[in-house]
Amino acid sequence: MAQQPLSSAAQPTDIYGGDEVSALVLDPGYCNTRAGWAGEDVPKSILPSFYGHSTATPTQNFFGDERLIPRADFEIRNYMNKDSVVEDWDVAPKIWEHMLINRLQPDKQTPPSKNGLNDDPKEKTQDGEGDVAMEETENQEIEKLLQENPLLVTEAPWNTPKAREKTTEVIMETWGCPAFWLSRTPVLSAFAAGKATALVIDVGGANTSVAAIHDGMVLKRSIQKSPIGGLWLSSQIRSLWETSEPKVTLTPTYMVENKTPVDALAPVQARLRQFPYQIHSSFRAYEEERVLTEFKESVVEVWNKPGRLNSPGNEEFAKTLPGRVFEMPDGWNQMWREQRFKLTEGLFDETAGYPLPEEERVAKNQTIPALIRAALEAVDVDLRGNLLANVVVTGSTTLINGFNDRLQNELAAMYPGMKIKIHAAGLTSERRFGAWIGGSILASLGTFHQMWISRKEYEENGPGIVEKRCK
Amino acid sequence: MSQSGATVSQECITAYNDLKLNKKYKFIIYKLSDDYKEIVVEEASDSKDWEAFREKLINATSKSRSGAVGKGPRYAVYDFEYSLASGDGLRYAVTQKNYIPVVLAPVTDRLCSNKLTFLAWSPDDAGVQPKMIYASSKDALKRSLTGIATELQANDPDDIEYDSIIKTVSKGLAG
Repeated sequence: MAQQPLSSAAQPTDIYGGDEVSALVLDPGYCNTRAGWAGEDVPKSILPSFYGHSTATPTQNFFGDERLIPRADFEIRNYMNKDSVVEDWDVAPKIWEHMLINRLQPDKQTPPSKNGLNDDPKEKTQDGEGDVAMEETENQEIEKLLQENPLLVTEAPWNTPKAREKTTEVIMETWGCPAFWLSRTPVLSAFAAGKATALVIDVGGANTSVAAIHDGMVLKRSIQKSPIGGLWLSSQIRSLWETSEPKVTLTPTYMVENKTPVDALAPVQARLRQFPYQIHSSFRAYEEERVLTEFKESVVEVWNKPGRLNSPGNEEFAKTLPGRVFEMPDGWNQMWREQRFKLTEGLFDETAGYPLPEEERVAKNQTIPALIRAALEAVDVDLRGNLLANVVVTGSTTLINGFNDRLQNELAAMYPGMKIKIHAAGLTSERRFGAWIGGSILASLGTFHQMWISRKEYEENGPGIVEKRCK
Repeated sequence: MSQSGATVSQECITAYNDLKLNKKYKFIIYKLSDDYKEIVVEEASDSKDWEAFREKLINATSKSRSGAVGKGPRYAVYDFEYSLASGDGLRYAVTQKNYIPVVLAPVTDRLCSNKLTFLAWSPDDAGVQPKMIYASSKDALKRSLTGIATELQANDPDDIEYDSIIKTVSKGLAG
């Protein structure tokens, strides 16, 4: 907060002495954006970073999963690019405001006269000037709503200086926050695992990254990333369904009006919904992704027995393992056996897995073992042992069954004789929101008062201050 | 200053100097004060019993925000002394990162060496909150203790078995 720290006599005496209770934490990612109050265990608001955009006039954006439903002239877009760097700076602040204000502070909602719901839509389209005026009042409201909340925002370690400055501007100029801080996600994940030195492996939605952290600092040269993540795994599943015999058709849930249960591999008996308008391909892709996610969560596994899946005998053995049945939204169901393992094999072995179109294919240097090797080779040789003994695994995709065992096997094969220890949070939420949780604890500490970049400091130094302070 | 903003109390440095220069202690265990604002000395001792030291770390506790007491992380400095396996009188000039040589106390055996080791103990089954606070405050303490030769991060009781630690500390040269 902007005020001076209280004298020690006046400070509240509860544990963590005078914790920051009003700080907010924002953790944007390509698939989801997470926001919540500092000090809480999990983010209260988790929204897809995908949003709906209506191309009809006037154009309108829709935030939140429940608003992404079939509509006419409706596209699904994302405000981030696949490198997890914010790309659309018009929409990003809007989504963030939606989360930080509407979702987290519903008691502070704008009065009905100003929230736009009661505006006459005709007036809005006719009177262009009126629009501008309305936006101005809206901005003032926002400034008021966030001006008591210090804000900690997480960022990918390769976030661009331009994006950092832009974030700073939004926080300080648009929102009028009293103070802010930017934290690198792998540092927060390492801290949350109790480590100041660690090799952080983050397998997320749009990409996988490996970064060495030493004494709480990202070693810049060690940062490696590749597009193999949850979305890449989705393309593997699509490829499996297309090449399997008989071919599996992916009909997303929204298209199914009703279905009758059928036997495995039997023809589908379902009635599909008809829409009087064209459904945009991006909406369909987004809906398909939901089915694919469910498949990943319930069927897909990582081969975690000794060796790789294509080592002699392993594939035959995989065929004898119990299979899993998956039912598609339209009722098609089928048992999946060794395919479950083959899907993830490409994460570790570029020659394995299902055929993909050229641009999605994994190169030799993009598999997880290759990223780790490259990251370690970029750091001082004395550090490597310490890093291998402190591997931190985070990101939702690492929750796939068998991932950690396999990683252990791969590392043991790559670095024989070295002590390798993988740390992965047992709680699902800690693995999914590792960086957010780290930020939540940090921002809630009474001592973190002195770390925040205050408004005064920002005004004296300009947005460039973030490059100096948040290293 | 550390990344959490926690500070290091003067007694931490005083105790460390007593250990380093006067050989008053064998080890020091540091902890964060109950309000998590400052790093303080929990115990400084001249006991040479490694197992007792290890037990103290394993049984350390921390309070979480809700007030629940669980396993807790700690920092420690331990003055390792060991004889070297190769008998050609090899002596270690223990240096710190910024190349200030550390004065070693006279050792009785020519084939002995000792090393001041910084240990960051953070049991995997401690709460995420204490772990986070200790990890983000560590560099403040480490930076104010000059002359540390080795630094270790340990996360489960196996990591602080004497045999495995001495191997790391001596880089495999202990006999």
